[in-house]
Amino acid sequence: MILPRSTEFRELPIHILWSALFLTSVGLVVLKSISQHSSGAFFQNPFSKQLLFLIPAVILCIVIYHTPRSFIHKYSYALYLLGIILVILPFFGAPQAGTHRWLYVGLPFTLQPSEFVKICTITALARYLSDHNLQMKKFTSVIIPIILVLFPTIIILQQPDLGTAIIMIAPILPMLYWAGASFFHLFLLLAPIFSMLTAFHTLAFTTWAVLLALIIFISRPKFMMGLILFFGNIFLGLFSPVLWNGLKPYQQNRILTLVNPGDDPLGAAYQIIQSKTAIGSGGLVGKGWGAGTQTQLKFLPVQESDFILSVMGEELGFIAIAVVLFVFGYFSVQILKFSYLSKDRFSSLVMIGCATVFISHVFVNTAMTVGLIPVKGLPFPFISAGGSFLITSYIMLGLVLKLSINYSD
Amino acid sequence: MLKADNIVTYRQFLAAAGLTWCLFGILIGRFFQIQILEYDWYSQKANSNRIRKVTTTAPRGLILDRNGQILVDNFPTYVLTAIPWELSDKGEKFEFISTVIGLDSNTVSKSYKKYYRGRFNPTRLAKDLTFDQVSRLEESRINLQGVYYENFPERYFPSRIRGSHIFGIVKEVDRDVRNSLRNKEEYELGDMIGWSGIEKRYENYLKGERGIIFYEVDAFGRELGYVKDLEPTDPEPGMNIITTLDLDIQYFIEGIMKNRKGVILVGLGDSGEILGAVSAPDFDPELFTGLILETTWNEIRNNPEKPLLNRFLQGMYPPGSIVKSVTQAALLEKADFDPNTFFHCDGSYQFGDRLFGCWWQEGHGELDLTGAMVNSCDIYFYKAVQYLELDQLAEMFIEFGFGEATQIDIPGEVYGLVPDKDYMNKKHGRYNWSKGALLNICIGQGEVLVTPIQVLNYLNLLATRGNAYRPHLVMVDELPVNEIPTLKDETWDRIISDMRLIITDENGTGKNAEPDIPGMLVYGKTGTAENAHGESHAWFIGWAEYADQKYSVVILLENAGSGGKVAAPIAKMIFNEIYKSDKLVYK
Repeated sequence: MILPRSTEFRELPIHILWSALFLTSVGLVVLKSISQHSSGAFFQNPFSKQLLFLIPAVILCIVIYHTPRSFIHKYSYALYLLGIILVILPFFGAPQAGTHRWLYVGLPFTLQPSEFVKICTITALARYLSDHNLQMKKFTSVIIPIILVLFPTIIILQQPDLGTAIIMIAPILPMLYWAGASFFHLFLLLAPIFSMLTAFHTLAFTTWAVLLALIIFISRPKFMMGLILFFGNIFLGLFSPVLWNGLKPYQQNRILTLVNPGDDPLGAAYQIIQSKTAIGSGGLVGKGWGAGTQTQLKFLPVQESDFILSVMGEELGFIAIAVVLFVFGYFSVQILKFSYLSKDRFSSLVMIGCATVFISHVFVNTAMTVGLIPVKGLPFPFISAGGSFLITSYIMLGLVLKLSINYSD
Repeated sequence: MLKADNIVTYRQFLAAAGLTWCLFGILIGRFFQIQILEYDWYSQKANSNRIRKVTTTAPRGLILDRNGQILVDNFPTYVLTAIPWELSDKGEKFEFISTVIGLDSNTVSKSYKKYYRGRFNPTRLAKDLTFDQVSRLEESRINLQGVYYENFPERYFPSRIRGSHIFGIVKEVDRDVRNSLRNKEEYELGDMIGWSGIEKRYENYLKGERGIIFYEVDAFGRELGYVKDLEPTDPEPGMNIITTLDLDIQYFIEGIMKNRKGVILVGLGDSGEILGAVSAPDFDPELFTGLILETTWNEIRNNPEKPLLNRFLQGMYPPGSIVKSVTQAALLEKADFDPNTFFHCDGSYQFGDRLFGCWWQEGHGELDLTGAMVNSCDIYFYKAVQYLELDQLAEMFIEFGFGEATQIDIPGEVYGLVPDKDYMNKKHGRYNWSKGALLNICIGQGEVLVTPIQVLNYLNLLATRGNAYRPHLVMVDELPVNEIPTLKDETWDRIISDMRLIITDENGTGKNAEPDIPGMLVYGKTGTAENAHGESHAWFIGWAEYADQKYSVVILLENAGSGGKVAAPIAKMIFNEIYKSDKLVYK
């Protein structure tokens, strides 16, 4: 790593950097195991592909690290617009595998612009929340940030890519919380989701309605406002079955598969079963590198990205998994710590946004491989193969490293 | 720019950090649950995912004659298979294979369609290939990617004999057959199973045990090689079966029965071992080793001569005069009958409103019991049997093993019929039959029906004064014990000396069976059984004693006429053959 000034090296949050490099190396070790029998072209081999993508990723990370903080702040809205355009571009091309996720750039690989939009959205949101010395206790101040997030999210949903859309929404709550929004307002943001989820179960919905009424009563908003909030949520809940029917069948399937994995043994549930079998059969120390039968005999699907943790669980065992998850937890909490220590609000918000993206990726990916949530095509940061997301992760790493140093600029 | 101060509180940081660690804690806990607590279950699941158990065919045991000559052997044929996904240009390859092995290319593609079970499963193309055909295919190996062959041992009959009814047939196990089996888990589709005869009765000894190979397979079901830690087991060939048959005798009597209809049984009187058994007409056992053509099968099944019927087990025949010794024994044992009583035979006998005739219409004149046996006079028995009740006669039949199974060691035996009072009452009504029925039964006509194997047992009992073992076809350590008829010594003496006279007396009906071999004494009885199917069945039963050894012969020629004229000379041929071919040394 080339550093601008020797004085800064001491200030550099070195644990974050080492954690990221450690996770990247673990990822390469696992990818090498998957790739050892692959006889395809250079780009068919996930290991060499990942190595190749690491070059632009590291370069971008360094570039970002050298970019002045004010520059990032100044152009964050412009970047946001650029991101929106990038995300719309694939819609002009022919759909690939029924989706508009990928962008051809005249290279032997494609790019997934929605990955980069995650960063643009975080910086734009951070700028809005830090520039306007908002009275975050007011509910109306929350509206524009929500629009900022929902705009790209809705486009991504149209691709369609439910997983990425969920990740897009994830940072808004922690960032609003960081910016001083009241607990009650955040609760009101989450309330519709609960209303919809509980609507399918009478007892759950009744309990939720009572809880909702109680919290509104304790928080004492204006009387009319309270009524609107309460009944708005109740009606939303009542309408959710209608909304459910509006979902695409594959989305419904993914959700239903979680409830009863036995229903669809060769579809999404098959993947969960094979993933759990791979992980479970690995035991404490695993079957050995390159010796996972589930992996090497291809029982495990999408093993280089979505199910890479299953490969690790099978071949390297529980100890390796626990170490990786612990390191990632440490990495995330370190970012949170520097976010808390940051002097200016913009840096702090960007960092909590990045931390949220990292954590939600890890949580969704990992919970999926062990059958806790439905199958979502989300990669594991630094470890899964996938050029666009690797580059995105390293850009976020660069941002975090840059912004965690308080004395520059 | 960037003027806004960070307003995050330590409490907020702690909440966020705490929530983060919680999430990671949940994930690690879940991994702990799956990888440590549920390890065994998932480990087993992963193994069953990747391991495919494949079994290999075990060759059936051989069937040998008493001297160790191989009668039923296995022939290494080959089954040609193809792995569909490795196969390109199917039509072209099938065409090529057909020309090399000399088959219709339609047959190959039909078989391919019939046995197709998936892209990665071996699919049968052709069966019954010889080593020669396979080696010709091997020369063009390079053009036949995806085509394989497996060794498949098939039954073949290297000796001169057919023995089709003795050995029985084997059948390919298909879905229906497998479902009908009690031990179905021991068979796989395409296996051979004994379906009749010795093949069926000794199936458990003959079948052997399949070998097991564990293959590692990938998610698509492709085989990748052996599993390292699981040792394959070799197939265990079935046990060989040594029969009591003598290849030469069997060959000889099969030759006699060519173009004849009926049964010849040759056995050893004491041990009950069967040296030869023919039921004619029979069928070529080779027909059933491989795939049998529909037309051939129908031809055999619908043949009016019934070649599939095993006559010595399943044919029920009127015995005629060969059972007169039973009546004789009953008279001497059960009734107060003096064997020196003379009766007059003038060729016919009036009983009630019916006229019963003697086979010798001119009449035998004055006869005692011995004379009646020698001449096989019917009239004498009609008169003498008046001393007996039906049940007494039936009891004696049963003592000699009629009306029940001989328990011979091949399946399918029928019991025949010995009518007693109960049976007659049930069949005709209590008052609708008279003692006249007894007149028929005492000379082996009427309701009484026997199987040739029962007759052999009866003959052996006569030859050994009731000490013979049950007839059997496979050498056993413990000979099967008979129920011994309890007759007085004088009765045995009389029966046996009368049977000797039947052969040696000038008027003896069995004199055509006398082989005139020094040192050989032949005893016998002829029978000419009237039946509903045309001319009488010709019977001869008899044994030859030579150096303490007894050779019993049962001959039945369907619709061939007089036993003395037709059947007895055949017995003579057999006794001569036994003598000539040095078969007199059995012990």
